[in-house]
Amino acid sequence: MIPPRDERPVSPQQKAIAQRLVGQETLLLEYVHKLEKHRRGRRAVQVRLSGLQPINRREHHIRIAVNTFETLVKQLKGQIFSLSNADLVFIFKEAVLDEVEAAIVKLRFLFSDDPMLLDEGANGKPAFADWFLLERDYETLLQLAQRVATEEQQRRTNEFAKGFSKQMARPVSRGDPLTPQMLGKLEEHLARADLANMMRRQAVCAIVGGSPPQPVFHELFISIADLRETLLPNVNLASSPWLFQQLTETLDRRVLSLLNKHDDRTVAGDVSINLNVQTLLSPEFLTFDDNIKASMRGTIVLELQKVDVFADLGAFLFARDFAHDRGYRICIDGVNVESLPFVDRERLGLDLVKIVWDPLMVEGILPNGSTLSSYIDRCGPSRAILCRCDNQQAVDCGQGVGITLFQGRHVEAMLAAETQKSKGVLTRRR
Amino acid sequence: MNVPVPSATGPEIVTQESLLLGAAERIDRIRQGRLAIHVHLSRLRPQNRQDGHIRIALRMLEPMINAYRGQMFLLGNSDVVFMLKDPNLTDVENMVFKLRALFSKDPLTFVDKGDGRDNFCTWFDLGVTSDYEAFVGMSRTVTEEARQRSRDKAKARVELPPIDPTGLGEVMEALAAIDVSGMIRRQAAIVIDGTSAEVLFQEFYIAMAELQKALAADMNLLGNRWLFQHLSQTLDLRVLSALQDMALRKRPNMFSLNLNIASVLSKQFDDFEKSESTRSALSVEFQVLDVLADSRGYYAARERLREVGHQVVLDGLNELTLQFMDVTQFDADLYKVTWSPEMGEGEHGDITAAAMAPLGMEKILLARCDSESAIQWGLNQGIQRFQGRYVDAMLAAYTMAGCNKSSACTLGQCIARHGVVAGPMRSECGNNDMLDSSPSMRMPKPRRTPEATA
Repeated sequence: MIPPRDERPVSPQQKAIAQRLVGQETLLLEYVHKLEKHRRGRRAVQVRLSGLQPINRREHHIRIAVNTFETLVKQLKGQIFSLSNADLVFIFKEAVLDEVEAAIVKLRFLFSDDPMLLDEGANGKPAFADWFLLERDYETLLQLAQRVATEEQQRRTNEFAKGFSKQMARPVSRGDPLTPQMLGKLEEHLARADLANMMRRQAVCAIVGGSPPQPVFHELFISIADLRETLLPNVNLASSPWLFQQLTETLDRRVLSLLNKHDDRTVAGDVSINLNVQTLLSPEFLTFDDNIKASMRGTIVLELQKVDVFADLGAFLFARDFAHDRGYRICIDGVNVESLPFVDRERLGLDLVKIVWDPLMVEGILPNGSTLSSYIDRCGPSRAILCRCDNQQAVDCGQGVGITLFQGRHVEAMLAAETQKSKGVLTRRR
Repeated sequence: MNVPVPSATGPEIVTQESLLLGAAERIDRIRQGRLAIHVHLSRLRPQNRQDGHIRIALRMLEPMINAYRGQMFLLGNSDVVFMLKDPNLTDVENMVFKLRALFSKDPLTFVDKGDGRDNFCTWFDLGVTSDYEAFVGMSRTVTEEARQRSRDKAKARVELPPIDPTGLGEVMEALAAIDVSGMIRRQAAIVIDGTSAEVLFQEFYIAMAELQKALAADMNLLGNRWLFQHLSQTLDLRVLSALQDMALRKRPNMFSLNLNIASVLSKQFDDFEKSESTRSALSVEFQVLDVLADSRGYYAARERLREVGHQVVLDGLNELTLQFMDVTQFDADLYKVTWSPEMGEGEHGDITAAAMAPLGMEKILLARCDSESAIQWGLNQGIQRFQGRYVDAMLAAYTMAGCNKSSACTLGQCIARHGVVAGPMRSECGNNDMLDSSPSMRMPKPRRTPEATA
């Protein structure tokens, strides 16, 4: 916890930005208001995923849960709201009650090992699912919607304020530090394990003004969080920057061999993969290169870590020239607001710079005293990607300095919301 | 391509070289319209001709070999020889140009020896008898060399495999149990002001070869950059502790230490600082790599050091970092640039000098000066600070000139004894006071080269 004196007051302007954000909670509240005159024949169910163990309510669990209602949403039989506390609210027409009950059964099964479902109902513990008959329970549902919307707004405002004081404290380390011995065992394991199910893709999107995000390419990577959860749950993998760098290199090589092995057209263009300079010159990369149609290389982005680029500039320049000759684009990854002044995109001959979002960026000043917006100007607005955007503030701030490419959990959420909105349009048309 | 047997042990009966010679002899009667090119990749700097580089070079050439029914040979010394039939010469020239461009950061492609010869590759128009004979002659020579190499290989030392995480764990455990003071070395840097030269600081560091011998006889500690970085954090703390116990007759005016950023914020650093506070000034050298990895830490460490009057040095700069980064952004007190003989080469040297200018020549130290020409070049650019083997020799010679025990020693011995801070080598010296003194030297007037004065 950060002591209160470290928290800077939230300015009215910051508050306004935070409040402008439209979350699922706000959408739920609006929708419930709209249903005031259409209560007949409608029901709702609240699925309390928030009561599950954290390990059971990770992003992909929520995604699976939301997908359970996908068919009904597509048939325009109901609307799903995925709240930021992980709870789901599904509002639907009575005619599909059976299907909804079936979906809840599926979810109960999915999470049946979780303590929440094991002691459900015991000692007055809340149920996994709560049902509402709108004709009878409209007011209760409305209160629920109002409560979650207020809580969410509060949470966002607080989070925003906290972002500023984050720099005071170094990131809190979770778990025991990673030792070389543990890393050795981990690498041995990685050599044998099938990592295909830990492979993730995340979109890098163009977001211009208020228009919806447009995916430009997808980054393929192995989820470190999943890996930690599965293999070393009590270890802080990032405790040593250098051991972590060694680990990510091992993972990057594994991604490359996965892509070489699986002929599943994952690499159908418009993707980015993480590589290190030595791997770019390896036989594995040449195999990868062989499998890619020449016309497609221009749409493939190779991401190199900043430390790898600067560890041996000569080797980097050689690899860069080779990759450019083959038609690939090169992105430097992991640049943060502090290291930005050292990365001269043009001099280094890089195509893209990936900047890690940090709430400090709101101040708009770099450590060398120049402004972030002048850096982006020099870099070229379409050549900077703001990544790890966890909230709307990141996108707003990025747009404010001229950035147009964004990546991160919030961008994923925006994409999902967009999909949902387009479904909403269909409903109205009907 | 003919598949080579990479570093196979035992005598190689069929080598790429002997296959090349066979092919060269076979085409004697059908050599009209054939072209051969010998690409001298063996002349590249070792760091520019590692497996990865060679692999990429072969990959670049492959399409052309396929297009012109060619044959390609990768020789044991990394040279590549290929033959083509009726090629389009513009195609070939373009490909060679591209290949040369890929190695444009290596002196091989930019240093002009002045003899008008192309050092990067040799062309043989096999239809011309003299060219053909030269080609067969070259093939014979390389085949003989390969045979010689495979004979020597049995005697040669095997290359150690790079350290792995498990090995690192063992090394770190072993490190906790040994005394590192015997592995500490020192090297002075000087500042030349007009006609006199003073010692600027003494840099203290761990001799990697010694550490390697003591801790990891069967693996290369430097073979994995990230794992070595991790090890170096622990090494820092050990060196900081050992330096406090060091018995010198005279402490240097200024200590210079190579440290990780995190080490500056350690208890061991505070302790060292306290123990030296009344005796010596302090200079801390950081690596570019470390600054990039933890820029926030760098800013904090820089402030912390400057606050108490210590000097912040950016270490390990070279011609490339100067050209491809805006080094002024580091805002250090001193920048260490590694000397390379190519800096003396016309245009290339001018580019390097121009890249140094924004830093201010008074903030540059030319490191690894192993010859008089290094110092000469630096002085001509306005650089005053130097370090390296040539400087070691100057200091030792000066020490010997004023030492009453010098008749018993050679210059080599004096240089070596200056480098250590403990152990038998130091006790062999009859005058430790002289060894630890920082003599002030008189310098000859810098000789100016005609171009520099013009």
